[in-house]
Amino acid sequence: MWKEFRSQFKGYLFVLPAVLFMLLLIGYPLIYNIVLSFQNVDLSNLATSDKQFVGFDNYKKVAGEEAFGISIGNTLIYTVGSVIFQVIIGFCLASFFSMKFKIAGFLRGIMMISWLIPMTVTALLFKFMMGSGEGIFNQMLLHAHLIDEPIGWLSSPEVALWSVIIANIWVGIPFNMLLLSTGLSSLPQDVYESASLDGANWWQRLIHITLPLLKPVLMVVLMLGFIYTFKVFDIVYVMTGGGPINSTEVLSTLAFRYSFSDFEFSLGAAVANVLFLILFAISLVYLRMMKKDEGI
Amino acid sequence: MSKRKNWTLSIVGIVIVALFLFPVYWMIITAFKTQSEIFRTPPTFFPEKFQLDSFATVIEGGIGQYFLNSVIIAGCATIVVLLLAVPSAYGLARFKIKGVSSMMLVFLVTQMLPATVVLTPLFVVFNNLGLLNTYIAPVLATATLGVPFSVLLLRTFFMGIPKELEEAASIDGCGRLRAFLQVILPIALPSVMVCGAISFFFAWGDLIFSITFNRDQGLWPLTAGIFNAIGRYGIEWNNLMAFATISVLPVIIIFVSLQKHLVEGLVSGSVK
Repeated sequence: MWKEFRSQFKGYLFVLPAVLFMLLLIGYPLIYNIVLSFQNVDLSNLATSDKQFVGFDNYKKVAGEEAFGISIGNTLIYTVGSVIFQVIIGFCLASFFSMKFKIAGFLRGIMMISWLIPMTVTALLFKFMMGSGEGIFNQMLLHAHLIDEPIGWLSSPEVALWSVIIANIWVGIPFNMLLLSTGLSSLPQDVYESASLDGANWWQRLIHITLPLLKPVLMVVLMLGFIYTFKVFDIVYVMTGGGPINSTEVLSTLAFRYSFSDFEFSLGAAVANVLFLILFAISLVYLRMMKKDEGI
Repeated sequence: MSKRKNWTLSIVGIVIVALFLFPVYWMIITAFKTQSEIFRTPPTFFPEKFQLDSFATVIEGGIGQYFLNSVIIAGCATIVVLLLAVPSAYGLARFKIKGVSSMMLVFLVTQMLPATVVLTPLFVVFNNLGLLNTYIAPVLATATLGVPFSVLLLRTFFMGIPKELEEAASIDGCGRLRAFLQVILPIALPSVMVCGAISFFFAWGDLIFSITFNRDQGLWPLTAGIFNAIGRYGIEWNNLMAFATISVLPVIIIFVSLQKHLVEGLVSGSVK
């Protein structure tokens, strides 16, 4: 009994520091953020104890702003648009690189460079390439006679959201490819052999074998992509700052603007909580799925 | 596979990768161009004359301090992550303690949280503790990105190490801690390095924590410096791209030298 307790106690000593660290730096702020969103904290009473509870006032105020509705819509379009293309292109590349030629693994690894470049740099780079006059995108499209006039990638409100989506797709492709490659390599090969014997062509094998077998992996990739894209900040903040005229405002840039441009901390907290609630719901679905897969 | 098919696939593969990484090429090549060449139509895909003026400009403009700050912040964050995550992952893998699954859940969920949600509260807390405008604030905040990732990745790894190793060590009179430090840790070193590298990347790429917690530009990392330089250099894109190239260099060097381990680690760390 004592021995068992002692060995358990040692286990806790190993585990606790990290758990405490995360509870202090993530768990506590998370709860504090909920408290903040029901108070009236701005720059004037940030450091004082004069904070009043105002109920749902912050949420009501935020919901009444036009930017809020726009930013929810933008976040959804941004996320769904990014994830769909990342997964489709990632899947095509994963299929290509799963053909076993010598340098396949090496090339696939090199592509990860786009993932590890700091988002700020990527955003700046795409901002440069999407410049309206001298940007390489417009230059090439004009040269190929695909467009007659330069596109205002980041300056026109109709296009800007898609421009930041394009940049984000580029960042996410290798990661999706990597996860899908792992999924593809774990599929049972004998099914393909017997399908070939039955005369199934490439397309039939894709529709009837690969996609159904890959479904669990695809679901995980889609969910993870959704979760990680939904909280986007850097790319949008650096490329457009949410403009022109709110056309690229997403929930995290809006929360940031309330808190650190207007110094209305409680309004920022309220927006951040909406973002958190949506993400939390999706994470719960994801965790349920994972549990089912592992049979815990 | 026939030799010819191998060649064809390799060439197609190289073309795909070259197209995909074109933006990176464009960034580096622009840094070497003169201001007038950048705005030329049609654009040149290779600089007429490699000039180093842009690099000289950003170095004189004080990129060194930003670089140093990035190294300090990312380096310290990595150390914090490893000190916390390695023992924790080991404990979660080896000991029969209550609440393992809920602790795993804590790490899994925190990995999915947006920085925006903890940003304002952390700002208030750091403000009250007097930690704003110090290295400590961004170090602590960015370490929270690496800890859950590393715990999840390393736990899987530790579970794969046979228990007999520690049992043998304990017969030789080794305590639990010594067995961990002297027997298990050396075996785990490659995985620990992967976690370290990835935590370093996370911290190196941070913008939001640094610009929020530090108003003092003397403490800003490269990412914040770049953001600032957009205003300062305006349309001097060659200077901006030189700035960007210098900021990317360390992560690319680390990545290339650890490539194989990193790619494997990334897969198992993110699906788990």
